[in-house]
Amino acid sequence: MKICAIMRAVPDLVEEIELISDDEIEPFAYIGNERDEHAVEEAVVLKEKFGGTVDVIGIADEDSEDEIDEPLAMSLAKGADRAIKIMLSENSYRKVEQAKALSEYLKDKDYDLILTGIQSIDAFTGMLGPMLAYGLNLPFTGYVTEVEEIDDNALLVQKELGGGLMGEFRIRVPAVLGIVSAERPLTFVPLAKLRKVMKGAEIEEEELEIPEIENVKVLKYYEPEKPEIVLLEGEADEVADKLIEVFKEIDVI
Amino acid sequence: MKDVVVLTEVIENKVQDIDFELFGKAKELAGVTGGDAIALVMGEGVNVDDLPCDTVYYVEDAKLSDFSSLHNKVALKLIDDIKPKIVMAGNTSLGTDMAVYVAAALEYPIASLCSNVSIEGDNIIATSVAYGGKLLVDTELEEKGVILVNRGSFPMETGGSPAEVKKIGLDELGVEIDESIQFMNYIRPEEDVDISKFDILVSVGRGIDGEENIEEAKELAEILGAEISASRPVIDSGWLPKSRQVGRSGKTVSPKLYLALGISGASEHLEGVKAKNVIAINTDPDAPIFRVSRVGAVIDIFELLPELIEKLEEIKG
Repeated sequence: MKICAIMRAVPDLVEEIELISDDEIEPFAYIGNERDEHAVEEAVVLKEKFGGTVDVIGIADEDSEDEIDEPLAMSLAKGADRAIKIMLSENSYRKVEQAKALSEYLKDKDYDLILTGIQSIDAFTGMLGPMLAYGLNLPFTGYVTEVEEIDDNALLVQKELGGGLMGEFRIRVPAVLGIVSAERPLTFVPLAKLRKVMKGAEIEEEELEIPEIENVKVLKYYEPEKPEIVLLEGEADEVADKLIEVFKEIDVI
Repeated sequence: MKDVVVLTEVIENKVQDIDFELFGKAKELAGVTGGDAIALVMGEGVNVDDLPCDTVYYVEDAKLSDFSSLHNKVALKLIDDIKPKIVMAGNTSLGTDMAVYVAAALEYPIASLCSNVSIEGDNIIATSVAYGGKLLVDTELEEKGVILVNRGSFPMETGGSPAEVKKIGLDELGVEIDESIQFMNYIRPEEDVDISKFDILVSVGRGIDGEENIEEAKELAEILGAEISASRPVIDSGWLPKSRQVGRSGKTVSPKLYLALGISGASEHLEGVKAKNVIAINTDPDAPIFRVSRVGAVIDIFELLPELIEKLEEIKG
């Protein structure tokens, strides 16, 4: 099976995201999108189960150009065969532009399966997976947690339906799947191994022209209101005392 | 182009709760545009008599009894015929599958992760909860749009005068049968416990930082007469079973106390938290969990837990 997983660079939420102006933000750092790490993990799981190859496509722009290398190297350390960095011609929050460009790139690559993380944390203008699938004229389903092979033409996928309920679906391949979590916990790659892989990693690079589809635009980024909150301050034992007082107040002890 | 469509999701012959959260907003928006609030329902044997909107388009057929790729095609055909100004759907597993497909096919701009939507002139203004809840984004969609709404954004709407139901046969639509995605069956994971039934939950997130540290949280839960629950990263890591998951894909809980230990509070988690009192412990003062908490402390949970457990043990003897 020829599998492709997509890895997006997104702002690192542990760091600040600076508001430059109403419609512009500047993240302090970028990391690989967490759900895409699950897509890469699942791609490697499927390679182990069914055989085949895994290509990981890292999507970056001039802001995240260097920071996509680490999650790509991580993918190689986990068992991916190729890492391809796709540089977008423009920094765009419009997912439909990214999806159009990427489906153009992928249309003659003949992947049996394309995996994306179900949602990236910056996906407020749509979702890459289903838009990509539409562009490639392939079926898509999301919130997938497990994939089994039925035959050469179809897979059996488990899909979360919410509230703990799962559904099992038969999906024709080639297909695009949105992975919510991989079948196994993310493989831990020790830092030493990652550094070693990063040194020798062959990351292919491609450039992709982004079309302009300006039917949606950002008016304003802003921080949500902070409602009143009682902050308990002090050393651990003081906080513990104060917390116990709150427990008593709300009658749980 | 005036109508507002709610693209409903049907599971086990029932229109889902999330859609009842959308009907009220759909009616409000239709009031502004001068159009109808339309519920689009696909299924078999679904009760469509009590949907609080103006019109229900109900496509009933055995082939539509459970979700499949045919739902995408039927939704596309109907929405192409109706040509609504706005299509609303839940930011859920089935809602996003269908709505994004329709948006891509009909070239509607999309706003996802939404907590609000309004109309300004010809355009639509959507508010999205982005970057794990750290920022809100207002976007303007030109003329029309597909809006994917987070659970819990609007109040549930029930009752009101009954809608006009238009029943449509699948054959009438002339939609090509699409079998690329076929439903096989539902799976209900075995549950060791129902966390939605407890008064107190000690809930752990990524900050718990390892399976070995769960024990300490369990110890605290035991002293408090609580159960232990978790956010997605803990479940993904295999540190607690799926039955313990709170949020979009897990359980919705409404305990008297929800003690969040090392949980950042991403919107998909908060969708499941309806507690009277949320108390959050986190080292990141900007963590979104503090925005829904009554009480909080910016402190390392591993410094706090031993102290708290010791003091509670003293009190409880």
